[in-house]
Amino acid sequence: MASVTLENVTKEYGEEVAVENMNLEIQDGEFVTFVGPSGCGKSTSMETIAGLTIPTEGSVYIGGEEVTNLPPKDRGISMVFQNIALFPHMDVYDNISFGLRLRKYDQAEIDERVEKAADVVQLGGMMDRMPEEMSGGQRQRVAIARAIVREPEVFLMDEPLANLDAELRVHMRTQLQRLHRELDTTIVYVTHDQAQAMTMSDRIVVVNDGQPMQVDPPLTCYNEPDNLFVASFIGSPAMNFAEGQATEDGFESRYIDIPFDLADYGIEPDQSLTMGIRPEDVYLERDTNLAEEPSRTYDAVVDVLEPMGDEVFAYLLMDEDVEASAEGRGEGQLLTSLDPDTVIAPGDDIEIVIDRSDVHLFDTDTEQAITHELRK
Amino acid sequence: MSGKEQHPDLEAQQATQEEPELDRGIVEAWAARMISNPDRAYKATFYLATIFFLVTTLFPFYWLFMVALTPRGDLSNVGVLTPGGAINPGAFVDIFTTLPFHRYMFNSFLIATVATVIVLFVASLAGYVFGRLRFRGRNALLLSVLVTSFFPPAAFFVPLNRLFNTNIGALRPLLSAGSLYNTPYAIFVPLSALYLPLSIFILMTFYSQIPEGLEDAARVEGTTRLGALFRVIVPLSAPGVATAGVLTFITVYNEYFFSSLMTDGRPENWAPMLEGVLRFQGEFEVLFNLMAAASIVAVLPVAILVIVAQEKIVSGLTAGAVKE
Repeated sequence: MASVTLENVTKEYGEEVAVENMNLEIQDGEFVTFVGPSGCGKSTSMETIAGLTIPTEGSVYIGGEEVTNLPPKDRGISMVFQNIALFPHMDVYDNISFGLRLRKYDQAEIDERVEKAADVVQLGGMMDRMPEEMSGGQRQRVAIARAIVREPEVFLMDEPLANLDAELRVHMRTQLQRLHRELDTTIVYVTHDQAQAMTMSDRIVVVNDGQPMQVDPPLTCYNEPDNLFVASFIGSPAMNFAEGQATEDGFESRYIDIPFDLADYGIEPDQSLTMGIRPEDVYLERDTNLAEEPSRTYDAVVDVLEPMGDEVFAYLLMDEDVEASAEGRGEGQLLTSLDPDTVIAPGDDIEIVIDRSDVHLFDTDTEQAITHELRK
Repeated sequence: MSGKEQHPDLEAQQATQEEPELDRGIVEAWAARMISNPDRAYKATFYLATIFFLVTTLFPFYWLFMVALTPRGDLSNVGVLTPGGAINPGAFVDIFTTLPFHRYMFNSFLIATVATVIVLFVASLAGYVFGRLRFRGRNALLLSVLVTSFFPPAAFFVPLNRLFNTNIGALRPLLSAGSLYNTPYAIFVPLSALYLPLSIFILMTFYSQIPEGLEDAARVEGTTRLGALFRVIVPLSAPGVATAGVLTFITVYNEYFFSSLMTDGRPENWAPMLEGVLRFQGEFEVLFNLMAAASIVAVLPVAILVIVAQEKIVSGLTAGAVKE
């Protein structure tokens, strides 16, 4: 067990900057997930921790010791790879024991440790199988056993579930959480799948363009996003946004206006603002009582319904003339999630309210959050 | 093949069998059959080609064998398929008694083995660098390595021969004469260098196909880049390594130009196998039967090597791909 610290880590590939000035402190025993769109630098960040990449600038510490220039084998880490990366020419036993054999452990101890690790991931009786004879899930378990058998200080996982089918992925997700509880090791996890990030982590690092946008527990990132990027990236389906500006008595955009006292939030009149509201914080007028602090009502037209079983996603147009944009939600489009029993049909004229206590306001120019609720 | 699962061509042939009897010559009828049933034509061509290749490659051996079995006096009577005179396998013993032919073979074998080991080791390192690392000047460097192999070996002979005949004081404690002439080094050093580019090229192609994740995994698990190369990348590229190794071994084992010029031709001075074969050619008489026997014996190590490595070589020469 050990803490991991990144200090001003920058990694450049030629002209391209993969990671820029990354500062991060991961506590001992913590499960931290790097999440972000592809190419955002999350894998490179992990590679600098692993030592597979030497940062252009900055330092990496594991357990308080500087490891910036140590080779991967001397860092007390182990890693599970996206493409699983079992050695195809070795059977399960040889794969799992590879690291121990290189470190010249006693045969007896190797056997004992391999058996224990195989038990943890339920691989008993498969020791002499070759990787090619195993299913995707079994290979993944071998890779995890190979990683835990050395009892590393830090456990790195780079998209370990990406190549599994959906059902197995959900199953392995709970397995990994159980594993973390049992081993109590620091785990650094990389994924582009926010479901994995939200469900497993103690804290998530939302990365964009090589920089951490927010480092917080999953629900904090969800409920109090620091900036527009986190607000739009975390949450599925994504938050609704409306661009507008501050007026003397509140926020105003083309379709939505919310009165509030500018002075309460230090907002200047005419400041460019972006309002964000999550689909579950938009209510039908008849459900107004469910909103903690309802706004006034707005007119809308139902465009498309997506019944999910446990809820219905309703795409609304704020005006009949609004053209539904093909690329995501454009101006005047709003997504709300409704109770599945709601009787509603495309084309219906409806009235909606939004919950002021869950309205997010961002400065459009700096993209930083100003508030996550609007009091009257 | 039965019933309905027949080849469509066969079915077509049966369907057209009721065509009116034509008065055709043998060749014409045969051609008609081939046209209505192309499978037969393919099969016939296949056997024809196979037999042709087998005859052209194996007949010289057969004939060599016949010559070797012919006693010295009857050499002029050797027929195309039969030995001249009474069969006498004594030549296979004589080659070792008349001359220490086993020593010549040992020299060649040792030189080829050492050259192969050196070539595989150095080419592995170079193949790793060229196949897996990206750095400035990579292509220029690779090209300059490959260019070496474009020159005729003879171009290197004069400078090398002068170099190896020079007495170098520093070598005196190691080599009695103080020069490399008449030592195995004079043979396998230039030969290794000459055949290195080909092996680098083969191994580079193979090593570049090993997924990067496997190397990363090996490095995280506890080896260096070099360790990962020899523990993971090389074993997974076995077909490529076997191909490069066997090609190098065969070329060096059969090499004559450098091997004969860098020694004085005496077995104790590391003269190679081919030199031995030619030693049966005296001033007044050429012992063709002994030369034939020696040639056959000399082929054996290579033949055994190829049979052992055959499976790997075939997949190495053709596919060249590593799964996953």
